[in-house]
Amino acid sequence: MNSEVVKVVEFRIRRYDPDTKRSYVSTFKVPIRRGTTILDVLNYIKENLDETLTFRHSCRMGICGSCAVNINGKPMLACYTQVLDLNADIVTIEPLSNLPVVKDLVVDIQPFFQNFRKIKTVLIKPLEALKKEEEFVQSPEDLKKYWDLTLCTKCSICYSACPAAIDERFLGPSALTANYRFIADSRDEGLDERLKPMSDNVWLCTSCNSCTLFCPKLVNCANSVVEDRGLLVEMGAIPRTVKDVLESVMKYHNPMGTHQSKRMAWAEGLNVKTYPSVSKADVLFFVCCSTAYDVRNREIARTMVTLFDKLGVDYATLGEEEWCCGDHILRMGEKGLFEMLAEHNVVMFQKFNANRIVTLSPHCYNTFKNDKPYKDLALNVQHYTQFLAEAVENGRLKPTKTYNRRVAYHDPCFLGKRNQIYEEPRRILRSIKGLELIEMKRTREASFCCGGGAGRVWTEEAEPEKRPCVDRLKEALELGVEVIAVTCPFCVTTLEDAVKVLEVEDKIAVRDILEILKETL
Amino acid sequence: MEKHAHDIVIVGAGLAGLRAAVAAAELSSKLDIAVISKLHPLRSHSVCAQGGTAAVMREKDSFDLHAFDTVKGADYLADQDVVEFFVRQAPREIILMEHWGCPWSRTPDGKIDQRPFGGHTYPRACFAADMTGFHEMHTLYGKATTYSNVKFYDEWFATSLIVENNIVVGLTAIELKTGEMHTFKAKAVVMATGGHERIYEFTTFSHTTTGDGMAMAYRVGAPLEDMEFVQFHPTGLVPSGVLITEGARGEGGYLYNALGERFMKRYAPEKMELAPRDVVSRAEQTEILEGRAFMGPYGPYIALDLRHLGEEKINERLPLIRDVAIKLGGVDPVKEPIPIRPAAHYSMGGIKANIRTETPIRGLYAAGECSCLSLHGANRLGTNSTAECLVFGAVAGEEAAKYAMSAGFHEFPEEKALAEEKRVFDGILGSEGGERVPQLRDEMRRLMNTKVWIFRTGEELKSALKEVRTLKERFKNIKVEDRGKTFNTGFTAALQLDFMLDLAEVTIISALARTESRGAHSRLDYPNRDDERWLVHTLAYYTVDGPRLEYVPVTITKWQPTIRKY
Repeated sequence: MNSEVVKVVEFRIRRYDPDTKRSYVSTFKVPIRRGTTILDVLNYIKENLDETLTFRHSCRMGICGSCAVNINGKPMLACYTQVLDLNADIVTIEPLSNLPVVKDLVVDIQPFFQNFRKIKTVLIKPLEALKKEEEFVQSPEDLKKYWDLTLCTKCSICYSACPAAIDERFLGPSALTANYRFIADSRDEGLDERLKPMSDNVWLCTSCNSCTLFCPKLVNCANSVVEDRGLLVEMGAIPRTVKDVLESVMKYHNPMGTHQSKRMAWAEGLNVKTYPSVSKADVLFFVCCSTAYDVRNREIARTMVTLFDKLGVDYATLGEEEWCCGDHILRMGEKGLFEMLAEHNVVMFQKFNANRIVTLSPHCYNTFKNDKPYKDLALNVQHYTQFLAEAVENGRLKPTKTYNRRVAYHDPCFLGKRNQIYEEPRRILRSIKGLELIEMKRTREASFCCGGGAGRVWTEEAEPEKRPCVDRLKEALELGVEVIAVTCPFCVTTLEDAVKVLEVEDKIAVRDILEILKETL
Repeated sequence: MEKHAHDIVIVGAGLAGLRAAVAAAELSSKLDIAVISKLHPLRSHSVCAQGGTAAVMREKDSFDLHAFDTVKGADYLADQDVVEFFVRQAPREIILMEHWGCPWSRTPDGKIDQRPFGGHTYPRACFAADMTGFHEMHTLYGKATTYSNVKFYDEWFATSLIVENNIVVGLTAIELKTGEMHTFKAKAVVMATGGHERIYEFTTFSHTTTGDGMAMAYRVGAPLEDMEFVQFHPTGLVPSGVLITEGARGEGGYLYNALGERFMKRYAPEKMELAPRDVVSRAEQTEILEGRAFMGPYGPYIALDLRHLGEEKINERLPLIRDVAIKLGGVDPVKEPIPIRPAAHYSMGGIKANIRTETPIRGLYAAGECSCLSLHGANRLGTNSTAECLVFGAVAGEEAAKYAMSAGFHEFPEEKALAEEKRVFDGILGSEGGERVPQLRDEMRRLMNTKVWIFRTGEELKSALKEVRTLKERFKNIKVEDRGKTFNTGFTAALQLDFMLDLAEVTIISALARTESRGAHSRLDYPNRDDERWLVHTLAYYTVDGPRLEYVPVTITKWQPTIRKY
């Protein structure tokens, strides 16, 4: 009564012996049938190959949340993951991140659960209402407004994948979502009380989307956090750092607080066509506030222009009429301000009759693609890595000089996790002679955020070791690479901050791919 | 051994345990309450309950109707005073859950919706899509953690109750993180540890639900009642056994055999797929035995067809089922029927307790599936179990609280704790034999699956008894490979098997003695119900030579036993 063995898969399991404090890897070969789950494999190993292997499990139907582990680097429920779906002959299984390991795959879940004690996990109602012996009325439509958020099993996958959770002040994606679940419940009357426990720490979230991406129940935690923030913004209950950013954007239309008349300063000496002197071009080059104003990042924009010229592209920028795209602002919860920015840019796109937009920042790219009102325009927008990967592919762009360095590529969240652009940056790097491309341990969908998203790049105030960028840079240092390559100006800023904090200027450099290209042409 | 003392210790943190904690804490903020669970509370098996919770909520329904449905479903073995109390209390529990935030599914006018369920003559199952137990658990846990006088001991494994002169004085438990045994002194102890269906191979049960509390109570002299009555759920997903809710049939799903027949027409022409579970499971098993089932790589199966309900209804009412069928069964119920067959699902039997959840041991209370009050008699109706956990969890919490407020601590006999430490660490963890725990466990589970299944005979039960006793002997000769202190799951697996072997033995002996067929207990050699001789509850008492059986009459208030037909 058994279905056939389809293949034998090798499992490499990270072990930890608390008595000797030894960490090691055990390798097992396990026969896999159609339907065999990772939990079946763990049980098979424990019952047949090594009885000491230790892991948690209970319901084996994805509802109790016991068996979350890292499978090939991604946090997943062991019981809800079929081995054949992984399409792999070798599978690594490790304990969840961000939580202390107790033994083998068992982690201490208390830090995760403690956060729920800081919020109210029951309906808040006046006492008289609760005394009534009848049900509260709630329409199916009102139920739908929060239903999806009730599906959280508290498996702690989101917490383990969360870059903000390395700072224990952060409530974590799950508890913040639980908090919003009650706020969104039409029966609840405790808004003020619910805003308090998160008002000082919800800003640590970078909107990297890992929580939502890996949630086995598809709970949109990332969005709940934005909704939480929206309410805090509405109440004015926001920290000074956040307020400063929002005020700058309101006043200057960019978060750097510099006058718009300086927006083209980066292009000094270059002959860059700008609106309104030019009102049509094949490519509208959307520069991004960070690259336009941050002196460190200007070189990135300048290189792009050089490449445009080299490729003979007819391009122009919006000049002083380029306003912040608003991606960070929207995710900081300031919807109204975002709309103001977007409406301006939309009008400009229409005036410019933009057929094709190339952005330097994954954030501009993301919001143009995915957020209304930009989304409604169905813009033909490309991140510069897509644009250049095409040029590499059809032979128009050929890096000629060798670049003899070991380079790790850090996937920016808004390019990778949010828009599944993983290949193009790697294709460009692979086209460079001498460059040895090393994959980070946490890579692609499992990439660990630099800590810059959703405005945190400007509001960072965590102790150095609790900044995601420091965590991430340490990971790159462990690989022994000389360069960490990025494709996002905010990643440049945060990771260079980490280089300074760790005082490793002599060991590793942070480079945008454009900067690497520049050295090879 | 480190010592703890609490006024009330609740063992188990599923629906009944958490409900008891809330009830006790509500009664007095001065009470010191502990909840000990070998799992984090939210990992408890209660989260697997899917279809609904029965309660009379609307004018067209009535307490008498719910009570009669329950009594008839129970094949007249339920204690009717308990049933009458239960149906009256259930609606209050639904409202309390609502007030604490349970996201009940709603009617278009915003009231709590109710769906039909097997054996109920009115659609009285309140539900939260097909994750009712899950939502009740998360609601209750959210509530229980708001009390400062409730202390949670998560991932502590209780090993024994300490009883002196028929009064409970506390218990012993191992902190899994350190592997150390601690003692807990208590004025009152509430057992809420769930059922024992992990003794079977094909079961809807979580891996961890191994009936520990039943065995602990049994070993200190509390009788186990009606353990021969094991419910087989008609729709366990093939091959894992994972539960596919009866709500799937409640929403209109059909059962087909390989000939394409809705075979229930031969077994329950009126109720069809919504006959009680014992009836449907017997029907399926008969189809299988008579060769009309489908055959697949994992043996025979029956088809549960939901396709005619349409994608929208399936997504709205049965989203978990769809997800589970795709992820674990490899079929999308929107497009294909789900392969199912009967699976061991529920224990009608358990620690004998009265309508106030008091066991015969003073200060020891039992609620939820580990108890037998007897509400479900010989067969439980779907959605009555979560309702029972809430109703009698609350009763247990209140009764234990009242008792604890009037009683003092009793002296805790240290020598008993030391003996327990020796039994557990030297006898089980330190055992130097050659038998492997997973091997013995699998043999027990296969044995129960083949010889103590839906249809039973005296001969097979006798042979099963012999085999389980051999397994118990072999258990004395085990070896736990992992000798570490910290989170030793090989060790806890051994402790659990030790408990399960006792429970398997009691189940078999009780089944062997009952020479009639009633509810979920079907004897091929005694095919009829025999009210003259067997309208009684079985009580199994622990002795060193094995269970000793006694019988007590069923309490009948309004409904005399008659023929049970659906």
